[in-house]
Amino acid sequence: MAGSTIDHIVALTVFLGALLLFITLFNQTLQTAVLYQQHKVIASKCTDMLDNMMLNPGYPTNWSWIGPTPTSFGLQDPEFTQYKLSPFSLMRLRSLTGQRVDNTRNNMAYSNITMGFGNFLLVPYTQVVNYSTATALLGTNGSYGFQLTIAPTITVSISESKSSNPLILAVNVAGKGFPLSIANLSYCFLTVNLQSEPYPSYTTSYGPAYTDSEGNAILPFPEITDDNTPYALIVYAHLGGLVGLGYHQRVTSTQQYVVPLIDDLSQKSVLIAHSYDIHPFGATEEDLYYNATFVLVTEDFTLREMPMDNSTGVVGQAKPNRVMTIPTTNPGIFVVTYKNATEGGIIMMPWGTSSMAFTVTFGEDMTGKEWVATDTRQVIVDNIAYQAKLALWSLKGYQVIG
Amino acid sequence: MMRTIEILLVIIILTGAFIISSFFAVLPSPRQVSPTNLQRLALTTLQTLDVDHDLSDTVFKLSNDSEWNDLKVALSASLPPNIVYNLTVYEVQTGNTQLYKIANTISNAESLGVSTSAASYLVASSNVTFNFTPEKIGERGYGGTLYIMNCSDAYGWWITGYAPRNLAEDLYNLLSPYFQATIMVQNTSQLEMILNGAKISSSPYENIANAVVINTCGEAVPIPSGYIATQDDWDAKYCYFVGQKVREYNWTWASIVGYPFYYVSNTDNKDLKTQDNGWGIFGMRKVLDAGQPGINAFLEGLDGWPSYVYDSAGRTAELGTRPLSSGTIESCNYYGIYPSYYQTSSRALSESALKQLYDLNVATYIFDSYNGYVPGAVYKNINSGVFLALGLTRTPDIRLTALALLSYYRPRLYRSTYTTAGTSRLVVLQLGQMGGI
Repeated sequence: MAGSTIDHIVALTVFLGALLLFITLFNQTLQTAVLYQQHKVIASKCTDMLDNMMLNPGYPTNWSWIGPTPTSFGLQDPEFTQYKLSPFSLMRLRSLTGQRVDNTRNNMAYSNITMGFGNFLLVPYTQVVNYSTATALLGTNGSYGFQLTIAPTITVSISESKSSNPLILAVNVAGKGFPLSIANLSYCFLTVNLQSEPYPSYTTSYGPAYTDSEGNAILPFPEITDDNTPYALIVYAHLGGLVGLGYHQRVTSTQQYVVPLIDDLSQKSVLIAHSYDIHPFGATEEDLYYNATFVLVTEDFTLREMPMDNSTGVVGQAKPNRVMTIPTTNPGIFVVTYKNATEGGIIMMPWGTSSMAFTVTFGEDMTGKEWVATDTRQVIVDNIAYQAKLALWSLKGYQVIG
Repeated sequence: MMRTIEILLVIIILTGAFIISSFFAVLPSPRQVSPTNLQRLALTTLQTLDVDHDLSDTVFKLSNDSEWNDLKVALSASLPPNIVYNLTVYEVQTGNTQLYKIANTISNAESLGVSTSAASYLVASSNVTFNFTPEKIGERGYGGTLYIMNCSDAYGWWITGYAPRNLAEDLYNLLSPYFQATIMVQNTSQLEMILNGAKISSSPYENIANAVVINTCGEAVPIPSGYIATQDDWDAKYCYFVGQKVREYNWTWASIVGYPFYYVSNTDNKDLKTQDNGWGIFGMRKVLDAGQPGINAFLEGLDGWPSYVYDSAGRTAELGTRPLSSGTIESCNYYGIYPSYYQTSSRALSESALKQLYDLNVATYIFDSYNGYVPGAVYKNINSGVFLALGLTRTPDIRLTALALLSYYRPRLYRSTYTTAGTSRLVVLQLGQMGGI
């Protein structure tokens, strides 16, 4: 009798132990399967959402021009189909990466898509779409977080090999995975004349070039005989349907300079501010005399100047920010040459992000997010090749509670 | 002891079940769970490379042409480093059992791995010519005559940068294929003739009734000398008279820009050529020199009012930049005329005022109504007469006028049939992902 009972107890214990073990094992497999299923959903959502943003202009379709907030979010250029994005809609996304800029003259905050000194794109917070608005319009508020990066496919890097007599600039053109060899280059070279009174003047020259098998090109400019002559170089590179853009400039005044700020996109107006309105450097604020122009890129990748009204002026301590109107709704580059008594330089601002191949990062910081699904599309922004990359994650957790 | 043996048997069965079920329940690799959409990447890569038709040009080149190297470089440069590709171009054949024949292949890897995706893209040769034959307006019923003002003795206003003659030539090129007869009104004498029902050409297709009349002078309207008089309201009465004729002949009167009937112009008339429009243009006079009586007088005549009534009230609004209507965009694609999608309207007419005062209903919206005002539309009187008004700011885009008339009349286009043999190639881009799992 006792042996039978012990037999039962041992059998039952072993049975329960085995059952528990197998339940755990099966549960582990099921958990993994469910988890994978959830991740698959996030990946599908990522693809859908990226297409939704890229293939839809939003509503109103011209929201980048007429008002502060669209009622439907989309970035497609309303005048085109397929994956062509509006350079002005991209301009109106609040930058994730750029540090906020405040103009003390008008007490306004600006979204900052600046790409290094002298290449500014500052759009008032009142005119940009912020992340929370975008998530609400996309229907993902509280369920998914995302980060959208729209970066040029072609990188055109320019560096100074020799500063004068002659000035030699080295150009390198590379794609995402390979240098762009034997690519056609067309450039615009602007030289600033600081001796001109009272406003600086500039001269422009244009030319073609080619890259070698490693994507490099050397551009000599014998007309630059002085290390202190400010200049700017804008280079377009194109090969086999891919178009990229790069720029480089030299200035002699890096503390006192002019800062172009978008004033009102619907009015195409731009504010010209003194750098001290953004961040004073301590030294006395001097008046800056400026001379502005606007350049458009033509279909054959040459640049063409467009005259502007009131293209010259002065900004400084006792002078208000000046307002200028961009004469077109086509993308281009707003170029401002400036000088004070001893120094000067040149500043550029894209009118439409593509005209200076600016990278736009919009959304939330994805550092520390778990299981981020990503997807990529090749897109065109005003003929410039870009890649749009969307990173998406769930805000409702990713673990399965077993 | 038996129980323990039984339990051991159960455990063996459970273990077997677990192993067998695990064998069938294969979980996907992480890459399969969250894949990069290679198909979309391939398609968008092809679209990007063809943005300026470079891809279309290259795929028709011989396989030893240097442009294939450019394409290789562009593909490698545009794809991420871990993506390998195989691009195959097929020639599309007809009348053959083999529809697709390989024309060329390029690749940057011997193998694309086990998991690949492909996208296809059909391109047409630049040598392809596409012809169409338009239906002639009036071919199946009434009308069919287009009169374009090309008056040598009248100036234009708000057609800045153009002379009426330039606009008339452009309109002729754009619209003459769609009309049975396109006739240039060379001077105000000829205008007077058609206003009085007389033909001005030898064309057998010229037909005064149901014609379309385009005023290329912008805000000014040419006035024959016979209507220039000394009493105060001769100019407004002339506008009323034109409106009456539009009604009588069931014309379609087209105003291409700005305020319609804002000025009258005749540069040869001895009385008018000494007057200016207030902006230094002689031979032109603002109608009654106040408000907008010209358009109101015209609409009174168009609506069949028994006599002219002075009314200088302005019924326009400034709307700023407005997009084309969806119907117009459809017409752009159908007729292949592509003006800018957005236009600035500073002279948009009140839709309700035109309906209530002059029995004009919108027949075709060129721009959608906004706040009760229409930047551009074709209005039809409930009895007779049609009026196209484009209340846009200068400088005029004459393509909009052409598009508006085509949107209203909707002449059909008979496309020529052509074969795709030798003119089309199918490009297939297959992508594979290297590394990782």
